Amino acid sequence: MSGIYIHIPFCKQACSYCDFYFVTRHHQKQAFVDALVEEIRSYKNLEISSESVSSVYFGGGTPSLLSAQQFEQILNALEDVFPLQLKELTIEMNPDDVRPDYLNELKSIGVNRASMGVQSFDENLLAFMHRAHNRSEALRSLEYLSAAGFDTFTVDLIYGNPGQSLEVLNQDIDTLLSFEPPHVSAYSLTVEPQTRLGKQVDLGRIIPPEDDQVAIHFETVVNRLGKAGIQQYEVSNYAKPGHEAVHNSAYWSHVNYLGLGPAAHSFLWDADRNQAQRWSNKPSLKDYLESPSHQKIEVEILTLPALAEERLMLGLRTKQGVGFAELENRYHFSLSDKQKLYLKEKQNLGLVEPQNDRISLTTDGLKIADSIILDLITSA
Amino acid sequence: MSNIRNFCIIAHIDHGKSTLADRLLQMTGTISEREMQEQVLDDMDLERERGITIKSHAIKLDYKHPNGDEYVFNLIDTPGHVDFAYEVSRALKACEGAILVVDATQGIEAQTISNLYQAIEQDLEIIPVLNKIDLPSSDPENVGQQIIDLIGCEREDILIVSGKTGEGVPELLEAIVERVPSPKQITDAPLKALIFDSVFNTYRGSVAYVRVMEGVLKKGDLFKFMANKEQYNAEEIGYLRMDYQPTKELKAGDVGYVIGSVKSLSHVRVGDTITTVKNAADKAIPGYQEAKPMVFSGIFPTNAEEFEDLRTALEKLQLNDASLSYEPETSKALGFGFRAGFLGLLHMEIVQERLDREFNIDIITTVPNVQYEVKLESGETIEVDNPSQMPEVGDIDAIYEPYIKASMITPAEFIGPIMKLCQERRGVYVNQHFMQNNRVEITYELPMAEVVFDFYDKLKSGTRGYASLDYEFIEFRKGDLVRLDILLNAEPVDALSSITHRDKAYYQGRKVCAKLKELIPRQQFEVAVQAAIGSRIIARDSVRALRKDVTAKCYGGDISRKRKLLEKQKEGKKRMKQVGSVEIPQEAFLAVLSMDDEDRK
Repeated sequence: MSGIYIHIPFCKQACSYCDFYFVTRHHQKQAFVDALVEEIRSYKNLEISSESVSSVYFGGGTPSLLSAQQFEQILNALEDVFPLQLKELTIEMNPDDVRPDYLNELKSIGVNRASMGVQSFDENLLAFMHRAHNRSEALRSLEYLSAAGFDTFTVDLIYGNPGQSLEVLNQDIDTLLSFEPPHVSAYSLTVEPQTRLGKQVDLGRIIPPEDDQVAIHFETVVNRLGKAGIQQYEVSNYAKPGHEAVHNSAYWSHVNYLGLGPAAHSFLWDADRNQAQRWSNKPSLKDYLESPSHQKIEVEILTLPALAEERLMLGLRTKQGVGFAELENRYHFSLSDKQKLYLKEKQNLGLVEPQNDRISLTTDGLKIADSIILDLITSA
Repeated sequence: MSNIRNFCIIAHIDHGKSTLADRLLQMTGTISEREMQEQVLDDMDLERERGITIKSHAIKLDYKHPNGDEYVFNLIDTPGHVDFAYEVSRALKACEGAILVVDATQGIEAQTISNLYQAIEQDLEIIPVLNKIDLPSSDPENVGQQIIDLIGCEREDILIVSGKTGEGVPELLEAIVERVPSPKQITDAPLKALIFDSVFNTYRGSVAYVRVMEGVLKKGDLFKFMANKEQYNAEEIGYLRMDYQPTKELKAGDVGYVIGSVKSLSHVRVGDTITTVKNAADKAIPGYQEAKPMVFSGIFPTNAEEFEDLRTALEKLQLNDASLSYEPETSKALGFGFRAGFLGLLHMEIVQERLDREFNIDIITTVPNVQYEVKLESGETIEVDNPSQMPEVGDIDAIYEPYIKASMITPAEFIGPIMKLCQERRGVYVNQHFMQNNRVEITYELPMAEVVFDFYDKLKSGTRGYASLDYEFIEFRKGDLVRLDILLNAEPVDALSSITHRDKAYYQGRKVCAKLKELIPRQQFEVAVQAAIGSRIIARDSVRALRKDVTAKCYGGDISRKRKLLEKQKEGKKRMKQVGSVEIPQEAFLAVLSMDDEDRK
């Protein structure tokens, strides 16, 4: 096991754009932590828990709604079951939950990376997103975070919001850069159907910005962060050298990961590495509390050809791309002549990097990665 | 006096013909309550769904009159759409009487009138019936007056019926006995049997539905089709019940079927005459015509690998539908497919839908067009049913296009919109004729090409659904016509070419370009969309290049979602057609058809 993801399904309120699983029944937090410990223990002495773990990621929901003691309880259980050799231990936080003593406690139990869900510093946008925090809380949280002295931290930003001007985006970037973040995740707003935003768009009450407009935002983010030394290394992820996310990068290169907690996803190669499985836990805290280790649903078996396709899909979203040797060795896959020809054409258009040992997209290519990936896969 | 009565039902779509027919079957005990499935005679799924009859049907009913006499009724159900006017005329020919069914809530429609006139011309006894009198909105008084004006009958001749409740149906059955003449039973003359329909049976081959006009056909007789002289043995003959009911002979006056191991339906042609080889009739029953396609369209498999499946499917469809014609066609844009000819737009839609439903083949159809006669500079005249085959402008002396005479019946308040529509479609006004009930029959001569697009829909929407349409081909007339080509990134897309009147070419070119701009998804490069006449570009537009197309988040749970989306996109991409480097969705090939969408809003 190389990564463990733990889903903390509690939130103060629903953000308008978010379709992750969460509940607002905060009195169940301790019951949840106990159930989580039970789920962790159910893996004890299985083959799955013999592999060393290099990253643990608490995501949500809102992990910062748990106390440091509760995290400690979870980490102790993990320590007991899995051989932890952590390079990275991340907790996602919301600005309104962060106090210096809380950060210090987290640091003392081994958390070395904080992920701050700022999204924007603009009051109007924060209200539009229905975030629980305001501008001053966002600023304060980053001040605390800079002072806390984690090995590294990351800040989330959302751009391409309806009505968001380039000026407002630039202000958000200015403010963000003043905290010298080693890592930034900047996402263009995605309208998910099962969200309040999705419903409003359906009803025509909100009109998402034109792609051309979002493209300008995207370019602005890439350029400005890049100038500050925070380089794009994946479609939505930017880092100073050496600060790239360990855990999230594992998803893109088919490293085994185990998801714990309701709605968490897992991915695991078979022992002979001829296929892999992906599954998720049921998104229901109620069921989870009753039987934490029996929530496996949506089990998918992925064959090598499917995995190869998926690896291309994920790898081409990263600046590093995918190596030909890796494709051959891990997936017994090599590009067809038509695919090579396609890449050559795209190389001439400046969308694909000219390289002999791997495929990767240029910054321009990344902007239309979905289209290029689809073309590449279907031109086999 | 014979106890046979052969009759058909003339009605407009929705006027309740099939329901009434069902009731006749039920009340004569031809089918039991248990077998009753609504609209028994419309046995194609498509017919039931659309509530229309596509093929003719016939069924033999036994009727016991209240006075104790027993009768044989042959009910011949006729197609109810203007595309099938010829089939209707042949079905009428097989009858001595016609039940004219008029919806008492709606009044008489154009097509009913045209079929009625045909029936009167063929000397059929008409039994007028007002249907749907169970509905509160029925207006038997006024609609009855329309009937009186039209056929000159007395009010007391009109029967009042509800196919739904069965009210008045016993009286109708008695009226059929009393009013419809029994057929002349000339059995000592040479055989003349009229084919009014044919179906293909996988095990038996083609089955001809016939009305014996004169003479006798015996089982085992050697017979021939008079139009093509093909000879067969009457292996099985019989009556048309719910199933085939074999018998030893069919005599003058009878309606039944003939099976002669006829392999291809093309030998069994509606309207042809069957006679025995021995003691053959010297003249066929008049009125036979070869089915002539009026509307043409390209049919291509979405997936090139399904070309052979498509061929097989068309062959099978043709077995049951002799009026469908097709030949292979190759398009640069769409690959291998077929150019098919149809009786009309409805016929085309039916074929397309059957390909999809019954054969599960995904097809792309091109914009329908009519057949043109092109007189070349060389003096030669050629027929062109495919715009991409239109000769170069310099080689053309003149182009002639088919004209139809269209008659439309409408409440008087809609005269304006109808005239406007006909003028826009290059119509030539002929006359108008006021009828009872503030209704008007308007007659125009129109280029057929202007009607095959969306004329009928426009007519309906412009008259809140009230107007009805009937038309017939009149002649070819010279027209100032040009071929309008569409180019994508400077490459012509043959399947998007159309033939249009010169005055309309600019407007249409602009519209098609705008529509394509809307339909063609943004690609990684800009796509220039142009309309041209010959080498002259008359309209242009462009699909801007894709600037952003990438999913924002792709972590644990997002990955399977992204994968599923990718699978869907892969399927979607298969349905796109590649022209040069440009990908075109299927809908684009009908862009010309739907280009008036905005106008409708």
